Amino acid sequence: MSVHEQFADDLSLYAMGALAGEERRALEEHLKQCSACRQELDKLRGDVALLALSVSGPKPPERSRERLMAAIKKEPRRIEPAPAARRPWWRPLEWALAGAAVIVVMLLARQNGDLQRTVSNLSAAISGQQQQLAQAQQQLAQAQQLVTSLASPDSEHFTLIASNTPPQPQGKAIYSRKTGTLVFIADNMPKLPPQKAYELWLIPQSGAPIPAGVFKPDARGSATVVEPTLPSGVEAKTFAITVEPEEGSPAPTSKPLMVGVQS
Amino acid sequence: MLLSAIRSGDEQAMAELYGRYSGFVYAVALRVLGDTGIAEDILQEVFMKLWRNPEVFDENRGSLAGWLAVITRNRAIDALRKRRPESDIDDVVVSIEPDMVRGADWGRTLEKIRTTLSGMPAVQRSALELAFFEGLTHTEIADKTGEPLGTIKTRIRSGLTMLRKVLTTEG
Repeated sequence: MSVHEQFADDLSLYAMGALAGEERRALEEHLKQCSACRQELDKLRGDVALLALSVSGPKPPERSRERLMAAIKKEPRRIEPAPAARRPWWRPLEWALAGAAVIVVMLLARQNGDLQRTVSNLSAAISGQQQQLAQAQQQLAQAQQLVTSLASPDSEHFTLIASNTPPQPQGKAIYSRKTGTLVFIADNMPKLPPQKAYELWLIPQSGAPIPAGVFKPDARGSATVVEPTLPSGVEAKTFAITVEPEEGSPAPTSKPLMVGVQS
Repeated sequence: MLLSAIRSGDEQAMAELYGRYSGFVYAVALRVLGDTGIAEDILQEVFMKLWRNPEVFDENRGSLAGWLAVITRNRAIDALRKRRPESDIDDVVVSIEPDMVRGADWGRTLEKIRTTLSGMPAVQRSALELAFFEGLTHTEIADKTGEPLGTIKTRIRSGLTMLRKVLTTEG
């Protein structure tokens, strides 16, 4: 394996967590592109771990084991995804409403355009069409208002989960294959390191993941991605989220943090 | 095996994992922090992290003992410096080949690591320890010891190379 010699010293420091500032940024930039250096980094971390493993000291007190086992009992692991019956019924409804509102806006916007063309071409039928147009515009305005208020900074998001469970990151993707329309809403997303963003991926039935939008959660950990540029007609197997450089990547460079389960 | 049992929510498997690894997780936290109370908190935090989200560690990509060592050290340094944990810090691959931590030879390997460390020039061992156990950056180490940055870098790199030889040379 050929590790780039100019980075060899810094790679050791980085593995120790002792590289800072500009040198750290330059190395991280290089690591994105160099798999040989990434592999060497994993090995260097192994060397560093030997330092840790060599430490000797007193055993932890027995109360530590009791404390851990008690905490585990309080947080039984869900072996399967939570059964549907236990899911709060209003949760899918809330998502569906938000998603439906956005889709209505987009469909109406298209319909609106069609109607306007028709109006100019068919002067004979103008009055009827105008009435429809006005109606469509009114619906559009209502839907837009709904979406604006849902997306506004002062709208409050409540995520309802089983009590005793710490807030978990969650995302909901509503995807229409026919139109290539996607709405994605996320909550409780962990804070990102500097210069990083989350990237949403459409995982097709076959072929490579398709980028479906880059996003950064707000201070509350919430984020939305509305109608990213997607090819239409792609059958989605699932959606996934990875951490990427903030400008986004054409293909995932880290393992997924979240992967979708179809509901 | 143990990990897949933990992934399916087996509390007994977690108890076994604790039995196997709690000693050095606690020792590392205590070495960094010098405070038994906070070291116990870190111990709890590291094992709860694995219980809540066993996927943070990918057994196909690295060694569990190594991962626990690095995560524990990072958490302990965060606690020492009263920093908020960095969110991406768990996604580390720690590759130790061969993974001797569970093997019968581990006791002997441990001896060799300690011999290698105590055989290093004091300034070199000190550079490794300042970086790893005190969480100092290379510039902070250079400031503290009054030595050039380049010297510190070289010492750390060759120190790690010496440690790697412990595993790659037999005998």
